[in-house]
Amino acid sequence: MFYDEAMMNTYNMVKQRFIKKWINTLHMLDSSIEHPLNVTERKNAIRLSSDLAIAATRSGSTVWSRALISRSGNKTTNKPMARRILKKARNRMKNRCNTLRRNGNFTAKSGTRKRTDLLKSLVPGGEVIDDKDYLIRETLDYIVYLRAQVDVMRTVAAIDLVTGNLTNDRRNK
Amino acid sequence: MLEGLVSQESLSLNSMDMSVLERLKWVQQQQQQLQQVVYQSSNNSHELLQILQFHGSNNDDLLQSSFSPFQMLGSGFGPNYNIGFGPPHEAMDECISRTSSCHMEPVDTIEVLLKTGEENRAIALKNKRNPEVKTRGEEKTEKKIKVEAETESSMKGKSNMRNTEASSDTSKETSKKASEIQKLDYIHVRARRGQATDRHSLAERARREKISKKMKYLQDIVPGCNKVTGKAGMLDEIINYVQCLQRQVEFLSMKLAVLNPELELAVEDVSVKQFQAYFTNVVASKQSIMVDVPLFPLDQQGSLDLSAINPNQTTSIEAPSASWETQSQSLYNTSSLGFQY
Repeated sequence: MFYDEAMMNTYNMVKQRFIKKWINTLHMLDSSIEHPLNVTERKNAIRLSSDLAIAATRSGSTVWSRALISRSGNKTTNKPMARRILKKARNRMKNRCNTLRRNGNFTAKSGTRKRTDLLKSLVPGGEVIDDKDYLIRETLDYIVYLRAQVDVMRTVAAIDLVTGNLTNDRRNK
Repeated sequence: MLEGLVSQESLSLNSMDMSVLERLKWVQQQQQQLQQVVYQSSNNSHELLQILQFHGSNNDDLLQSSFSPFQMLGSGFGPNYNIGFGPPHEAMDECISRTSSCHMEPVDTIEVLLKTGEENRAIALKNKRNPEVKTRGEEKTEKKIKVEAETESSMKGKSNMRNTEASSDTSKETSKKASEIQKLDYIHVRARRGQATDRHSLAERARREKISKKMKYLQDIVPGCNKVTGKAGMLDEIINYVQCLQRQVEFLSMKLAVLNPELELAVEDVSVKQFQAYFTNVVASKQSIMVDVPLFPLDQQGSLDLSAINPNQTTSIEAPSASWETQSQSLYNTSSLGFQY
């Protein structure tokens, strides 16, 4: 085993918490939207629930998690659902984002500046962060949780594939 | 043996009259020695601390270059610091495998381990001047590592980042206490040859050091970042990686949408327990997920199998849907079959 056992345990716990929350958010979303849905809408719903769940798993002290919830809250037609997940933090985040838009955009002067701006656009809530040191710390945290999200989704998709094949076999018999 | 060498060289190197060439040669020598030391012994934390500190007493460029062997073998040292297993050779293999692109491995250990090393460096920079201070700093760093190990082990229930943040907080606290004990009011940083010593440039330099530290952590998290040098290149890699992960999430959610006509995960409530069992049982995490999935129901403990087959068990969430019941039963009844995709 190459990794530290304690690290692996915490990473696994993160994944466990994430999947519990994901199931919750998916249920909430399912009850609040009208059926039937086409594939794209289903995909958006799954993506939304997944993002909300991963942000809720990292709830609180990171900028990216609050920004993700705020951003997802705007996308869903059913705002009370998003608000249910993280009330205060979301509103806090929203106010900050508005002030930044008022200040305007900066033109990138050097290669590093351009890339920093691009990174800011990728990491949710990055635009609000001025300190480059803090931005990189946020990116670090975000990458770890994004990895966890991808790992879990990949596992679930694989299992889905298996069960899908099995039910098809059963039906075809 | 090494201690004698270290103390001797430190005296000669503290004079600023030494030319850059000589310093570089010395650093190369030290690097070779370091590598030898590392390969010979695996549980060498005491000497390594000394070496780390000593390197910290010179300027940052040299330190960075000499720190690169540590980076490579960081994962080998980490277990030695904290738990004490894992020879350096495995770490080398891991580093080699990590540089291959598009292969995702959890690298969370590295953050903490490198943070351990980085904190040592920070302390060493602060305690530059006195050789006496050095020995006291040694004890501090050892204390710190113990503190970090304790905090790590005691915080298993919390997230990764909180772990590292808390451990770095405790280490900062201990470093503050230690500096009080030594009655140093200011952070003494020796200016490099030909550099300005006014407050602003020093603060600027400290800020830049922090940023470069963080870039190093990211280097270890993002695979394939080791080859690239310079801020722009590393930022490129990081941006690429984040985009890649986000695209994966997008693709996986599309895949799930295709596979689930009813907007429910085929794996639900009851299987949350199995997921937990799956994640805790993952010892051979190097295998691909697809290979593990057929084994997943077989790895169950006896009690979990029973709970899986019985869909009427109440859980903390809601009752499973009808489709899930049939699916779960089919999954576990046919678990003995081989899966082929």
